[in-house]
Amino acid sequence: MADYSPNGDGELQREFVERWRDNAYGCFSSGHKFCREVCPVMQVTRNENHTPTAFHADIVAMEKGVVSVADVADDYVHCTQCGACELRCPNTLFTGDFYRHRTRTVDVVKAMRALMVATGNEREGWKLWNERLADGTNEPVLGDVPVSQEHVRDWADGLDLPVGGDTILFVDCEAAFYRTSYARAFALLLQRAGVEFGLMREQWCCGGPAAEMGYVDLARKHAEHNVADWRAVGARRILAPDPHDYIAFTEDYPAYFGDAYDFEVVLGVELVAELVRDGRLALTEPVERTVTYHDPCRLNKRKGVHEAPRELLRTVPGLEFKDVDHVTQWSYCSGGGAGLPIEKPEITAEISRRRVARAEALDVDALVSACPWSERPLSQAADGGLEVMDLFELVARSAGIEIGGAAHGPAGVEAGGGG
Amino acid sequence: MSVAFKSAVDDAVLDELRAITGDNDRVLPNLTSRVNRTRVPAPFPVHRWSEFMPDVAVLPVSAEEVSEVVKLANRLRIPVVPRAGGTGLADGAVPLRGGICVDVKLMNKIREIDLTDRTVTVGPGINMLKLNEELRPHGVFYPDDPASYPCSLVGGRIGTGGWSLLGARFGHTRDLVISMQVVLPTGEIVEIAEGGGRKLRKSSTGLTLKQLFTGHQGTLGITTEATLELVPRPEVEFAAFFAFDDYMKAYRTTGALTKSGLATLAGVVLFDEWKLRYLRRDDEAYIPQPGWVRAVVAVAMYGTRAEVEPASRRVMELGRSEGGKYLGDEISEGDWASRHDRYATPLHGRSRDGQAVPMSWHCEDAALNYSVLPQVREEWHAIVERYIDRYGIFDDWGMFAYTSGPYKPWADYLVEIDVGIWEQRLDDESWAGWVACKREIAEVALKYGGSITACHGATREGDAELVPSEMGSAWEVVKRIKRALDPNNVMNPGKQMLDEAYE
Repeated sequence: MADYSPNGDGELQREFVERWRDNAYGCFSSGHKFCREVCPVMQVTRNENHTPTAFHADIVAMEKGVVSVADVADDYVHCTQCGACELRCPNTLFTGDFYRHRTRTVDVVKAMRALMVATGNEREGWKLWNERLADGTNEPVLGDVPVSQEHVRDWADGLDLPVGGDTILFVDCEAAFYRTSYARAFALLLQRAGVEFGLMREQWCCGGPAAEMGYVDLARKHAEHNVADWRAVGARRILAPDPHDYIAFTEDYPAYFGDAYDFEVVLGVELVAELVRDGRLALTEPVERTVTYHDPCRLNKRKGVHEAPRELLRTVPGLEFKDVDHVTQWSYCSGGGAGLPIEKPEITAEISRRRVARAEALDVDALVSACPWSERPLSQAADGGLEVMDLFELVARSAGIEIGGAAHGPAGVEAGGGG
Repeated sequence: MSVAFKSAVDDAVLDELRAITGDNDRVLPNLTSRVNRTRVPAPFPVHRWSEFMPDVAVLPVSAEEVSEVVKLANRLRIPVVPRAGGTGLADGAVPLRGGICVDVKLMNKIREIDLTDRTVTVGPGINMLKLNEELRPHGVFYPDDPASYPCSLVGGRIGTGGWSLLGARFGHTRDLVISMQVVLPTGEIVEIAEGGGRKLRKSSTGLTLKQLFTGHQGTLGITTEATLELVPRPEVEFAAFFAFDDYMKAYRTTGALTKSGLATLAGVVLFDEWKLRYLRRDDEAYIPQPGWVRAVVAVAMYGTRAEVEPASRRVMELGRSEGGKYLGDEISEGDWASRHDRYATPLHGRSRDGQAVPMSWHCEDAALNYSVLPQVREEWHAIVERYIDRYGIFDDWGMFAYTSGPYKPWADYLVEIDVGIWEQRLDDESWAGWVACKREIAEVALKYGGSITACHGATREGDAELVPSEMGSAWEVVKRIKRALDPNNVMNPGKQMLDEAYE
């Protein structure tokens, strides 16, 4: 075989290596590759290129001139940015606090994807997706069905929600256009509890998925629009029922805007749990089902939120809840995150299939999740067998609320693609 | 001399490999697939990365595929390097002459759980922690418990002849493998056991071939299936850590514990002063012990409540018999529970002037008898000290001695000196210095009647050259076996001086 000579992507690649090299060495030099078997993608492909350790080793190899961004680009698609690897990293677990060191695999993957975009090594599916996002301001969640500003509030038909105000509800695109029952359930629960909130004048996609795929300028543009819209109506408090939005608003946006970003961001599931705890929402209707709970990665692994959903599930009367602890669930995932279903839908499908199979082995009749992005691939994997329920929908039902909306997209829409 | 030659993988070979697998996605000649199957997490000459790359990686899913790949390699004299987790600490899976990397990670299925005759049959790509997750509902477990327990794979454990932290109680990898299916260097698929009988632990028929196929470092074949021991899940786990103001007191306590005759004893670990100093670098996270603590002894027992509870009282007596101070339940239970994670973190690396720098971990793993532990300890630290002074990119992370005799904990130890190496600063001169350091360490082990390695394998530069002298009069037998099974030297060539078999 011919000797390899790196083509070098010049200055950008050099800057990237400079930026991430030391963090990468923290992983590279560790003898304990404990992240691999908890990685949902690695569990499916079993390809060492797709391991979190490879994502760091590649940077060391890049520094040594062994590989260039073009060589490794496809490998970095194989990640849902679930964060399991960072949790299971012995460096993070045992000495991270002392050295203020965290193995930053999610950030490394995002940065490499940004480098891929900047150096013309972007992936075709993501490119198209982001072009459509740029055209339409909302993410193209539905494949062929038009997603537009005109319809971004359709999910709330009949709820009589105001626009603007001190507290703004931000509804994720997947929920606004596809699983509208999710958005309705959340809004109705708040209405029932007497929480006042309004919608945005013009809600764009949060920009989080674009950032996850490396389209940093587009992500920033969306963030700037949304923040300007919040400011224009005098909003102080943002309600984020969707865990992905919550990540964008608490991690990406502060990084963009620094101290000027002074909104209070409230996670939906924590708010609902609080309303129930304080007696402002009464769960009185029995739900005679046997369920287990899927810890959405961005709640459990990225934000350490695992108790509030369980608290709610234990409060629903009539419900038999077979729990699997949140640490065991570090290695579970739906595969729906970080654009994986766009580029590698077969891997997403297999990750979801395995997750559903684990639920089925518990002899339950429903798998409850708390993230609309997971609910589509999980539902597709369940394929009409096990029911995939949403936590807000379940809680709303137990509060005696008629939800309406659609759990699997508007009638006639071909499911697939995901986002 | 008949030695497989490097870089014989051309397009025709790739086409044949694709025909064997019938799946282009499992034949990976792309650069990144090769780059990521070059090293293992042992210190690596990063400045010479490209010298150790395989030419192609193949991800088989069956013994038949492995067999066809190996037959092809044998026919064309292409090196074959088996790779499971690639998490070994001594380069067994590092290709020295390019060739085909046979990566078995996709062969990770559980074929059979036999609760009657107490075996589980698995592919070589399965991880022990994952296996135990599946075994747990059945009340049994597979007790192969190395530091790499959450990431190493059964195939690699067999190939390297792995050592388990619980080996004193349950045996090590070779004691836990009952039989296996192996693809020989010439491509035949053979069933290897004690005699016949896939699920028999003891036989005297023919030759006992099983041991030959554990710990060969991928030089005699590729394990494609293994039938493993199932052990009743212990009711009770007991751990106790004792602190000492003097190494010799800790050493004598270790001796007393290991000779106690307690059958549930799963392991005794002796930490020396250097190791404690290393662990104290993070004074928030590790045992915040007073300055007088110079050594620690850890003991673990596994078994039924009826056995372990009375035995634990005896352990407490013995642990204190030479002045040991019990460190309390919290440290004992917590540290034992985190035993896989905690003792070799790269972030504790220090340059000579005390700066924290990420260092790669070299774990020297000699096998030594109890009688020589104090003397070897002094000589090893002195060696490392000289190299630290000279090169400034090494760091002494201290020593452990672990019980190593399976079921017989009283006389054998895996003795480990952990050395940090600042890979970012490696160049040809410092790498050569490192190899020389390793060789000196290994020579001391041999001088005291020990073995270069208890588990990782003598497959690295610095160790490998000493294999013929360690094997002594048996080296001729080793060479004959290697040549008989691998006539063209295609199986992981260049390792352990086995090229001498072809001279």
